[in-house]
Amino acid sequence: MIYIDQELCTGCRSCADVCPVDAIVGEFGQPQSVDQELCVMCGQCVQVCSSYASILDEGIAPREQKLAERAMLPSVKEPLFAAYNQGKALKVKEALADPDKYVMVQVAPAVRVAIAEEFGMPLGSLAPGQMAAALRRLGFDRIYSTDFTADLTIMEEGHELIERVTKGGTLPMFTSCCPAWVKYLEQTYPELLPHLSSCKSPQQMAGALFKTYGAKVDKVDPAKVYSVSVMPCTCKDFEANRPEMKASGHQDVDVVITTRELAHLIKDAGIDFASLTEEEYDRPLGLYTGAGTIFGATGGVMEAALRTAYEVITKKPIPELDLEYVRGGEGVRYATVQVGDLELKVCVVSGLKHVAPVLEQVKAGTADFHFMEVMTCPVGCVSGGGQPKALLPKDRICARTARTASTYKHDGELRHRKSHENPDIKKIYKEFLGKPLGEQSHHLLHTTYTPRRRDA
Amino acid sequence: MCALNAFVVADPNKCIGCKVCEVACAVVHSDVPVKTVGQMTTPIIPRLYLVKTAEVTMPVQCRHCEDAPCANACPVGAITQRDGIIYVDQEACVGCKTCMLACPFGAMEMVPYYRNGERVKQLRLTEETGEGPVLQDAFVASKCDRCIGVEGGPACVANCPKEALRVVRPDELRRTRNLEAALAVLESVKNVIG
Ligand code: SF4
Ligand code: SF4
Ligand code: SF4
Ligand code: SF4
Repeated sequence: MIYIDQELCTGCRSCADVCPVDAIVGEFGQPQSVDQELCVMCGQCVQVCSSYASILDEGIAPREQKLAERAMLPSVKEPLFAAYNQGKALKVKEALADPDKYVMVQVAPAVRVAIAEEFGMPLGSLAPGQMAAALRRLGFDRIYSTDFTADLTIMEEGHELIERVTKGGTLPMFTSCCPAWVKYLEQTYPELLPHLSSCKSPQQMAGALFKTYGAKVDKVDPAKVYSVSVMPCTCKDFEANRPEMKASGHQDVDVVITTRELAHLIKDAGIDFASLTEEEYDRPLGLYTGAGTIFGATGGVMEAALRTAYEVITKKPIPELDLEYVRGGEGVRYATVQVGDLELKVCVVSGLKHVAPVLEQVKAGTADFHFMEVMTCPVGCVSGGGQPKALLPKDRICARTARTASTYKHDGELRHRKSHENPDIKKIYKEFLGKPLGEQSHHLLHTTYTPRRRDA
Repeated sequence: MCALNAFVVADPNKCIGCKVCEVACAVVHSDVPVKTVGQMTTPIIPRLYLVKTAEVTMPVQCRHCEDAPCANACPVGAITQRDGIIYVDQEACVGCKTCMLACPFGAMEMVPYYRNGERVKQLRLTEETGEGPVLQDAFVASKCDRCIGVEGGPACVANCPKEALRVVRPDELRRTRNLEAALAVLESVKNVIG
């Protein structure tokens, strides 16, 4: 949840400028607050707020009290700002110290291109291996990656798209991996909910698998598995706590922390991140392809889906893997892709405030595309609300560019670059899930949505 | 050369009170390079201060006075002029606070002294505690140095999202004002003569 510290806020309303849903309320010059019902928890206000707790201001509550209010580790030294996300790092620390818990962790694609920044490395440094090593030092029992379930999402969502196109389902289909976007649609355009893919987000797919397949692989009691998620996103905790996210028979994801909080935990444990040598993610739920890792950037879900859909439909290798036409910055992009006989039309929206005109077209029946990707944050999850916060406005922009570049660099260097070629994806279908959109998938990997329109 | 000292000033009609200028100031003056909030292990210590009341919102900073009262008042000569900048040598400062008293703008502040992210201790001064004498934390005078040596000039000016800050060069100021006035006269003369 996102809050504004009334003692620190100067009422500049810089946050209101970036809020995609006008959830920041208050008079200019007066402390602001967040309309929790409207807020989609994207955390962009947290990224932009520059009003900090000054040591020269004797009139404010002591730092210890502020850290406690924000549920931050007492060892955190960084300055505190007015707009903040209520953290969960204390819970993770507690779980790691509990010998009765078998703690599995997943880290999202965008975390690996940002976490190193918190340890003084250049903006956008790519550090998946060092992050895996740090997680192991912290004492997690299994180090898994959300990039694996991003691959799985592509398998499910790609097949769902093909089915909707060929069998006449609701079109255009919308991606469903950004919880802020999903909440927005639920509260603002509930009539369009049938357009959302029924696929859970990669985080929730991983959650459902940790306490089923993952527990089985490790021969542990699912009730003992504690499922931790590290996200670039301040909305993923809300997603994890949606009442329907208990497909494994337990709370699928027990706790979500942000990239920044993972850095706090690493520092708290006295781990020297920069000196760690690279380590691997655990298998099977940690092996991923380039398609999985580009989920962190705008256009990435679309590109990953196209790489797979093309090959599934045409049974031929896709001629070009780098689909530059779906990549880009903030705003709306359209493209047409020839997939066999099908002229597939796609739309990519980056930054939630750009989506309303497109949705109006969909409502009016004038939208002529089949598939739309929406990410709430300006250039996708690499610019998420839980990512390292740049001190200067110009570095906020530099960080976005550098993290996006590292994401595509990582994609280019991975052994496999198409989700359907991930050997552990093939294995999980063979051993556990059956086939995409099959019965087990339906139960564990798909979900439903709730209209939540506020009555006038 | 007899140039007057330049200084930074804010336009209260543009300033929204976001404190980006304060943060930018602290970032460029940090002795360890910092880009993200998480990299910071020290507090944000700016050299300009946002004033926010019902009447006015704007940051206030040093005017780089020609006959600088702070420099005149400093008993150890820690404040001097360098290239048109009234500059505090923090190593020489003894923390007597005379400069604070002397500055008519409140531009001078006593701040905790940090080096390499660590609190600097006084050389000899100790405080008696339960565990024996402990070296005291150092405090030093701190104020705007117009970002001496910083590429692109003062960080507050460069980073303010509302372009509410500018560097005033007094000589240029007079010349531009003179020119504006001359043009205004020309305009009115034209109007009269037709
Ligand atoms: S929360 Fe921060 S950005 Fe928003 S109005 Fe307050 S000080 Fe400004
Ligand atoms: S979290 Fe996002 S939606 Fe919520 S108030 Fe902040 S910017 Fe607005
Ligand atoms: S774009 Fe990514 S980081 Fe931003 S709200 Fe959506 S899922 Fe979270
Ligand atoms: S950065 Fe500019 S707008 Fe913000 S407080 Fe400073 S002078 Fe005012």
